[in-house]
Amino acid sequence: MIKLRLTKVNLFFNNYIMKKIILFIYIFTSVTLIYADNDNQFLSDELAPGWKKELGYKLPEPGSYKLYNIRKAGNGQVVDKKGNSIDLYSAMNNKITLLSFIYSNCSDKNGCPLATAVFYKIQEKLKKEKYLLKNLKMISLSFDPEYDTPSIMSLYGKDLSYIDADWRFLTTSSLNYLTPILQSYDQPVIRKYKKDGSYDGVQSHILRVYLIDDKKLIRNIYNVDFLHPDLLINDIKTLLLGNE
Amino acid sequence: MYLRNFGISILTAILLTISSFSYADETCMSPYMQKIVGQEDYVYVWTLGVEGLGDEQDKLVTIDVSPKSKTYGKVVSVLSVGGRNEAHHSGLSDDRHYLWAGGLDSNKIFIFDVATNPRKPSLSKVVIDFVEKTGGIVGPHTFYALPGRMMVSGLSNNKDNGGRTGLAEYNSKGEFIATHWLPTDGDLKGANKTGNFADGYGYDIRVQPRRNIMLTSSFTGWSNYMMDFGQMLQDGEAMKRFGNTMVLWDLHSRKPKKVFDVPGAPLEIRCAWGANNNYCFTTTALTSKIWLIYEDKSGEWQAKAVADIGDPSKVPLPVDISITSDDKGLWVDTFMDGKARLFDISDPHNPKQIFEEKIGSQVNMISQSWDGTRAYFSTSLLGSWDKTEDADEQWVKLYDWDQENLKLSHVWTVDFYKEKLGRAHQMRFGAYSLYSSKNSDEEKSVSMLDK
Repeated sequence: MIKLRLTKVNLFFNNYIMKKIILFIYIFTSVTLIYADNDNQFLSDELAPGWKKELGYKLPEPGSYKLYNIRKAGNGQVVDKKGNSIDLYSAMNNKITLLSFIYSNCSDKNGCPLATAVFYKIQEKLKKEKYLLKNLKMISLSFDPEYDTPSIMSLYGKDLSYIDADWRFLTTSSLNYLTPILQSYDQPVIRKYKKDGSYDGVQSHILRVYLIDDKKLIRNIYNVDFLHPDLLINDIKTLLLGNE
Repeated sequence: MYLRNFGISILTAILLTISSFSYADETCMSPYMQKIVGQEDYVYVWTLGVEGLGDEQDKLVTIDVSPKSKTYGKVVSVLSVGGRNEAHHSGLSDDRHYLWAGGLDSNKIFIFDVATNPRKPSLSKVVIDFVEKTGGIVGPHTFYALPGRMMVSGLSNNKDNGGRTGLAEYNSKGEFIATHWLPTDGDLKGANKTGNFADGYGYDIRVQPRRNIMLTSSFTGWSNYMMDFGQMLQDGEAMKRFGNTMVLWDLHSRKPKKVFDVPGAPLEIRCAWGANNNYCFTTTALTSKIWLIYEDKSGEWQAKAVADIGDPSKVPLPVDISITSDDKGLWVDTFMDGKARLFDISDPHNPKQIFEEKIGSQVNMISQSWDGTRAYFSTSLLGSWDKTEDADEQWVKLYDWDQENLKLSHVWTVDFYKEKLGRAHQMRFGAYSLYSSKNSDEEKSVSMLDK
């Protein structure tokens, strides 16, 4: 099953025509985002703010507001792209961490692709702010260990993380390891099951991204309504200013 | 190369977009909250216990509202919480796994698990140190879901039992995070006082995340909401102790920005859903007006009265309101005459009443389905303010709403006095679809969960 999926993905990657289509859709989507700003869309038709270039309002100055200690971040055993078992805390590496739960099959435009795109934009925006990049860890952890093997997560993250950004794509060995982590973050997920009762992947989840400080305290929780790179960078700067 | 990979994410999104969330539900909830598709399965009613009736305790009453169910329109679960607390409002967490419900007198917060078995909620936690943890807030009122958190508005304080109060922020485990006091004349906290009042009173909370704003309204303190209604009306000093303000906050920093004069106790706040509809409504209990709080063309937020509700000189006492999901209609319940009124708010600056009907001798809350075809009404306002003797009806009623012909059709009534339950107050919706993919056969789901 996994081999078949990898083959499909590789074919996809190597298809020149497909690359052209991707470029077209990228441009099309950019245009659509601008248009959507002027249209009276409702809920499911809307693209989340994180897809848009501008946040749409002025943020408070970094350091001018408090990011309260919401609670302790959860820990647990995760697996890196080489298949090594590590604990989530050590993956955070005592840095300010953005943690997002995603899965490679996620197809909700305002779900995992949004979280991944926002992380991507953050590292782009921080290209010239080496101090911030140096103090920031980004972790994309899979909801779906059944399908998202270390190889798949490696492929998912291939080329997404570049320059000096520290972005890791992790999974777990099984649901037995993942479930307590999800519970510790209050991260709900609905899974699908076939008629015979066997597992059939993730059906849906609430998009949440966690901002965790270097003491493993959750300092903000973002959802689709305000997950935007500018806002996250503002909060990261606020935490760093608080550490000075 | 980077563009390619970023494009793949977008390609995946565009080509394979299947809405994995359930969009639909009552229209007055936090925008952060999961929504229910179409038909709700249960209505949870936070109910005041009544001395001499049944077990006399406050309770969470679960009504089966799935038309396919054999117990449709019936009470299927009653969970008493021990004693009476002045049960009032309740609110669901953003993942809708938990229902938080407050006691305005005891200051307790009851957190119910409505996900493990939606048909039979269980009590997960009771917060008993609300006043102590918050530094003196009294009367936990609105429970407004933020991602992984709950914002709780107070009605009063433990120093003078008046209306000065604050907001308390909790995490999803029911642990206290922070207190945000309302701005007052003595301490504006950096806010701009735009009129005559900065009373620091509180009541409801709503947000528009895309504009980074939070709005709060203002009611009255413990000394009034626990007083007999008739006695209070005769007490000139007590009648001066009502809120006259709304506060605009910077949502992200939790800092107050503007204090608006909105005289006459602005209560429920409902914000528009449309992507460019940067406005919210409230109604004033004592002056019987609809107010619009809106962002003007220059980006400044303003507040103005835009319509009367009934005849203000007769004090119909507007209580709960409900905005339709298309932002074209606003239901307004008026307690004294027991009526529901529908205003056309297509032009939010000029609401027009297009319908009214008497629901009962008294009516307080309304919860409508996302498509607007169903509206649930309940009766109780406050233990000491509800009508007495024959006028003290206590029920939950379901009506079908025909938008085309402007017609409300009564479907069923659950009589809370006949069932020996108490006074019916806040209603919240539940559905199996929020928690499991195995929900296509409702009866099957029920039997599975009941095991």
